[in-house]
Amino acid sequence: MPGGIDFAVLGLSHKTAPLDVRERLASAPEQIGEILRGFAGLEPVREVALLSTCNRVEVYLAAPDPDAAIAALRRHLAERAGVEELELANHLYARVDVDAVHHLFRVAASLDSLVIGEPQILGQVKQAHDDAIAHRTAGGVLAACFSGAFRIARRVRRETEIARNPVSISSVSIEFARKIFDGFQGRTVLLVGAGKMGDLAARALHAHGAEVVVTNRTLSRAQEVAARIGGRTHPFEDLHGALVQADIVIASTGARRPLLTRPLIEAAQKKRRGRLLFLIDIAVPRDVEPEVAQLANVFVADIDDLQRLADEHRDGRRTQADRAEAMVEQEVARFLEGYRGRRVGPTIVALRDRVLETARAEAERAVAALPGLGEREQRAMFDLAEAIAKKLLHRPQVALKKGGGDPVDGPSLVTAAQRLFELDVPEEGGAGGTAEAGEKPGETSAESVRPAGQAVGR
Amino acid sequence: MATLTAVQILAYALASALFLGHLLTTRPGATRVARGVLLIAFALQLVDIGIHCAGGENPVSSTREAVGFVGFLIAGAFLLAGLRYRLSAAGAFAVPASLTLLVLARVVPAEPGAPRMGALGMTHVFLATLGVAVFAFAAVLAVLYLREETRLKKKRFDRMATDETPLATLDGLGLRCVSVGFPVFTLALVTGAVWIARLGGLAASEARRPEYLMAVAAWLAFGVLLLARVGAGWRGHRAAWLTLGGFAGLFTVLLLYVLRSLS
Repeated sequence: MPGGIDFAVLGLSHKTAPLDVRERLASAPEQIGEILRGFAGLEPVREVALLSTCNRVEVYLAAPDPDAAIAALRRHLAERAGVEELELANHLYARVDVDAVHHLFRVAASLDSLVIGEPQILGQVKQAHDDAIAHRTAGGVLAACFSGAFRIARRVRRETEIARNPVSISSVSIEFARKIFDGFQGRTVLLVGAGKMGDLAARALHAHGAEVVVTNRTLSRAQEVAARIGGRTHPFEDLHGALVQADIVIASTGARRPLLTRPLIEAAQKKRRGRLLFLIDIAVPRDVEPEVAQLANVFVADIDDLQRLADEHRDGRRTQADRAEAMVEQEVARFLEGYRGRRVGPTIVALRDRVLETARAEAERAVAALPGLGEREQRAMFDLAEAIAKKLLHRPQVALKKGGGDPVDGPSLVTAAQRLFELDVPEEGGAGGTAEAGEKPGETSAESVRPAGQAVGR
Repeated sequence: MATLTAVQILAYALASALFLGHLLTTRPGATRVARGVLLIAFALQLVDIGIHCAGGENPVSSTREAVGFVGFLIAGAFLLAGLRYRLSAAGAFAVPASLTLLVLARVVPAEPGAPRMGALGMTHVFLATLGVAVFAFAAVLAVLYLREETRLKKKRFDRMATDETPLATLDGLGLRCVSVGFPVFTLALVTGAVWIARLGGLAASEARRPEYLMAVAAWLAFGVLLLARVGAGWRGHRAAWLTLGGFAGLFTVLLLYVLRSLS
């Protein structure tokens, strides 16, 4: 469906390109200015923004001839990455017009993300637009498209539960722990063993204010992990003592038999005076004896529980994503309507200006050619000219308002009006423009045929 | 007057339904409406209490008024606690409790021939009312604790809502309620005993009335709970059950009072 939007996107993502290709195109924040200027320097490109994350590199642009701009950009990108254009082309996708808007909306709403619903992408899209504004490569078209993208992203977040539940093992563990403890400030996390996943979860809990204690059969390994996370070590031989201090235990040893047995935990619980204890067992084979879960005030989650929770959340996100896709469709349709309206508005204003201006000039000439006319007669002359002009304007105005937004005939109708009356309507966009530019017809238009400064009361 | 009562009951019933509905669907934002309705119900009851007071019938002047007042205090405590804690699930238990008590209070006929209670009698009823309300709230928290605990133990995550109150919060709040409620209820028992002694003591048959024994049993349960908590580190699971046991006793006392005034 053509929308008459001079907007396009060229890019690659985790869906089309392997990591080593994405790496070649990735850019550091301090390079953004230089890269954007490079893009903007290309002949057909009017406005441009760059979205660069670890999963995608996308260039959003506005150009009167989007296809030419994409071709030029593709060459430019291949040169920058130092690869053959053909080879890069295999990984690149290009969308123009409405399809590009649709793509941007999906990306911002986190529907195109590796983990659907992940929250970072909206910030990254915002950053991309802010960068373009800062480096003066953004204009009205980008502003309109990006503000539409922010709106749909917020709507999806508000009206669906797409990002409600976490999907990674370490964040699921933390979510579970939140059901037990009121925050982690002042809580003690005991890390038994030094697996990578345990490391991640402990680090996240530490970031939330928990104190981390590391214990490991090999002391040097414990010290290493403790130093990295910012915790302290506890001798492995005194596991009981370590358990007494802990509120949350993350177990990830490579032990063949369960290390945290029921008698051990029971003894610790007695010393701990029954305070709540949460054991996160991410080791395979398990580190926590299954019978431990029967103890009062003790909660155990093993890797299967956590994985199942993460999977359920992921499935939930997929269902929510279907609802979100429907919202994107709605928002794209709404956006198009508004966008077309914005093209029609300035044309109507220009048309009014042109006709009323002409009528006034003719009335002034007539008045000048008839010396001796009284004030009343002069006024009548101007009023007559204005009345005729407005009558003549009425039908074309209505036709433009009604038909200008039509997806098929609209653009040609607007163009015809502009040509017939030689209207000089500024193109949408231009650096520094805003989404609202041109939205207020009437403010700058000639509202009356009477000469300026002639205050004539009726 | 009858209309005001009916509207109050309706508002409490609607709020109960909304909170129960929230518990089943866990839709975010649904509790705001429920909370609003409850606030209206609460305000209506406040007005009602004001009108009764103006008519010389204060909230602790009779069992009937006191029972309704307990419901009022529970609703108030829930609204107040909701300002600081995420307790929307508690609404599904607290609000129906308020509704039940309000209906009970309106069912009980006024006691025309009741003796004038005097200051001591009123103090007793007031303290007992307050104590029961606080314990009732502790019981609501205990129910929530056990429900959440079961879900976590069984790892039934599918319905896990992100706005649940953490177990530690429920446990801590419950303890606070019991440690406030216990001295209040102790004073209520003492003033009650003194009051009865002033009235000339009880006949031997009356002293064994089940509600008196039950009240003392409930008081003992809460006392044991506090001691065990401080002394033996009883918390969480066992504390929740003991709280429920104590409250069951109190509820029976309340019920017996109501039944007696009906007969």
